[in-house]
Amino acid sequence: MRVRGMEQEPTEFAEFYESTREDCLRIVLLNVGDLHLAQDLVAEAYTRAWVSWRKVRALEVPTAWVVRIALNTHVSWWRRRRREVALGDHDTATLVEQATVVSGDLLAAPRRLTARQREVVTLRLLLDMDTETTARVLGIAPGTVSAHLHQAVAKLRAAIPSHYGQEICK
Amino acid sequence: MNDSDTVDVVRDSLTAAKESLVGIHVDAPLDTIVSNGRARRRRHRVTGLTGAVAGTAGMALAVTALASSGHPAGQSGHSVSHPLTARLAAWTVAKQVNGDVKITIRELSDPAGLQSTLRADGVPANVSSSTQIDPSCQAYPMTQALFASIYDAQKGVGSGNTVLVIRPSALPGGAGVQIGASADGRAGDGGLHQVANGNQAVHQSVHHVATLTDNTVLRVGLVYASQQCTGS
Repeated sequence: MRVRGMEQEPTEFAEFYESTREDCLRIVLLNVGDLHLAQDLVAEAYTRAWVSWRKVRALEVPTAWVVRIALNTHVSWWRRRRREVALGDHDTATLVEQATVVSGDLLAAPRRLTARQREVVTLRLLLDMDTETTARVLGIAPGTVSAHLHQAVAKLRAAIPSHYGQEICK
Repeated sequence: MNDSDTVDVVRDSLTAAKESLVGIHVDAPLDTIVSNGRARRRRHRVTGLTGAVAGTAGMALAVTALASSGHPAGQSGHSVSHPLTARLAAWTVAKQVNGDVKITIRELSDPAGLQSTLRADGVPANVSSSTQIDPSCQAYPMTQALFASIYDAQKGVGSGNTVLVIRPSALPGGAGVQIGASADGRAGDGGLHQVANGNQAVHQSVHHVATLTDNTVLRVGLVYASQQCTGS
């Protein structure tokens, strides 16, 4: 029985990967603003999802787990990067490529949020999860989710006033 | 505008921003994810087994055992009890549509795995954890132009990872790639060195590319392709 279960895992994970990876990449890219970095983070998150697939597949929203792992890895990565040595002008090349993909206040706005605010915004608004589910996934109280969302939305609103104007006129 | 309206507007704006990110793709194929995951599981098992054995001999011995199992506590300060947390895969390989092979390298652990992955992608390759040329290999003379036509290296912003792109189509007939990393920490060896080869000036076949996140120095070069050296 165990062997049969193991045989089903690859197909199930493959379907999950193929159906969710592009959306996860866009969400992570929106949060980190660097395509190479986002690709690495998403690949790492899916690798961890594969390793823990039996646990991940049983979650309410497996995609949320993948995105959270990617974003949390990013936080750890930034902390470690302070101790790393840059490689001269190679950095510039990636920034140029990045600028062609991600630009403008709207795309930059999520990166001005705190890590927790980004998590809440990502789960509540980009993955369209309700407050209770978001609270369970993050392990915090629903009221805390609402508070973080309120603060995040206020920051985002200030960062993207022109887009608000367009929406209000609808 | 009340809170609910504001949330709706921000949601619409972010969704529009997300949807505007067209033409981007996860470049890691499923096979790479799965093979890296399998390697990770194997390492977990080895670490767990080593830790269990070492646990019977006391904490000091356990630390030594874990450190020697291929997952050092690390220069980044991670604790030995969580050697894999907050670390990206050591490397990933993704074959591009145009035939180029993109390697994202954090550190050059499991060189044999990288070598077999590259060979499976059609790249005659010899990968080792040192920059000493494999005794079964013979260095292939390389010019600056040849190097530039085959290799392209970038350092990812924020990640510290090195992205190395190999263009197999630019490899001369009978040549293969050689990748190694040394722990000598010499980061200033950024240039090619001219050496004599009969009447023709050629360049040393190994070139420093980047300092990896584990402070080893990644070097690439060319070797004569052979069954023993590059697998084909």
